[in-house]
Amino acid sequence: MVRFENVGMRYGMGPEVLRDISFHLRPGSFHFLTGPTGAGKSSLLKLLALSHRPSRGLVTLFNKEVSTLARDDLPAMRRKIGVVYQDFRLLDHLSALDNVALPLKIAGARDEQIYQHVAELLDWVGLGNQVDAKPPTLSGGEKQRVAIARAVINRPQLLIADEPTGSMDAEMGLRLMYLFQELNKIGTTVVVATHDLDLIQRFGNPVMYLKDGLLSSRSAANIPAQFSESEG
Amino acid sequence: MIKLFGKSAELQLEKDVSTRYLPVVISAMIFLAALSIGGLFSLSNAINTWSETLTGNLTAEIAYDPAIDLDQEVTTAVKLLSETPGVTAARAIEKDETLKLLEPFLGKNAALSELPVPRLIEIIIAEDSAIDLAALNEKLVAAVPGARLDINRPWLDKMVTLGRSIQVLAAAIMLLIGGVTVIIVIFAVRTGLIMHSEVIQVLHLIGARDNYIAEQFQNYFSRLSFLGALPGLIVAIFVMFIFNFLVGSLEASMLPPLSLGIEGSIALLLLPFLVALLTKYTVRQVVLKSLGRMM
Repeated sequence: MVRFENVGMRYGMGPEVLRDISFHLRPGSFHFLTGPTGAGKSSLLKLLALSHRPSRGLVTLFNKEVSTLARDDLPAMRRKIGVVYQDFRLLDHLSALDNVALPLKIAGARDEQIYQHVAELLDWVGLGNQVDAKPPTLSGGEKQRVAIARAVINRPQLLIADEPTGSMDAEMGLRLMYLFQELNKIGTTVVVATHDLDLIQRFGNPVMYLKDGLLSSRSAANIPAQFSESEG
Repeated sequence: MIKLFGKSAELQLEKDVSTRYLPVVISAMIFLAALSIGGLFSLSNAINTWSETLTGNLTAEIAYDPAIDLDQEVTTAVKLLSETPGVTAARAIEKDETLKLLEPFLGKNAALSELPVPRLIEIIIAEDSAIDLAALNEKLVAAVPGARLDINRPWLDKMVTLGRSIQVLAAAIMLLIGGVTVIIVIFAVRTGLIMHSEVIQVLHLIGARDNYIAEQFQNYFSRLSFLGALPGLIVAIFVMFIFNFLVGSLEASMLPPLSLGIEGSIALLLLPFLVALLTKYTVRQVVLKSLGRMM
């Protein structure tokens, strides 16, 4: 599903923000990605979401090596990936319904198929009565749920979420994590980047711990209680 | 048509301040282009008319010579010319008629009749006749000493050269207008790409192809160009009507009225569509090239 081999990444001529990253995610697995602020989590997610190319090393997604992909192959690959951004990245002038419908519309689905499906999903994330609301009128948690609905509407094979529960209360956060679990049960590979150690420990999934651009695998119980601590 | 001019649903280009004045610029460009087309086709039609008139209508001239009977010479020349195949008619222009032609330049004067004016013969050539004017001239000179066939060619050649030069100038102006329009559109599109880079990135990351994004740009900009072109064209047509009215009100004006003909009118009416197509193509190329640099 996802394989990184000695991957390095830098922005422009700057220093490497990711160094010698190697890991393998099996299809249908569920991983947390955590680490201190500035450790390179967002950069790693960018590589997973195909928004950046690695500076070195091999990134293989869905059995295709990313550096060999032609530009025309990228959209089809990206449609297999759902991304939930920390800053939501919703289109403010579109309603919640249209925002969630966008991936289907881009993929060329017919309107009648799109809107029934989208309305059901919005209902499921608790926004059934807000389908026509535009993002600026929604709370942070509601926006996050719209963003999640948009990420999963296409039934992606890989779901990436960057701090998905950061802007919602604990109860709603748990509800969304259960949603991710449900998606994972039907075969979606899930990677959730979070600072929330309670959440990580509660769910107990394998953890990719990133610090200073270097990655290590850990169990949920073996994560520093505070990221600022030196690991020695 | 709806697809061609559809709205940019996701990018909301309609709300861009940077493109608000583009229709005004396009309008001015189309106004100038329409006037250039007007000039181009009017001149082309005028040149054709001059050519047809002057090649179908010749003059023979018999130089004044007090020692010979000019009337006899004229009769001989008219007979010879009338019998030439391809000549529809040959008519001697009477001396009084010739003097009348000189009146506007020399005034009415009794002494006018004493002037040694040459005698003229008007010759009408049959349409589509392949008459050899040089051979006819030689034949005429041999039969009537002092006679000469005035085929108007040098004057016509100069007029045609002048007309063609102005046509080339008009075509160059058209090219310049097209080039400036393309440059303006390129800058507007680049600004739009920068302003909407975040939305473009989101669209890419949820699987949009470059074509999907390029279509929104090209449809929006071609709509702006088309709508901007219409007022420019209408004003240009209005200006041409005013010009023709003013030319018509001047008696014996040296200026020909603007006459576009069918081809010119079609070219004029096609202008908004052509500028929309030019814009669409330009925008597509710019957007695809810019998106190609992104991941």
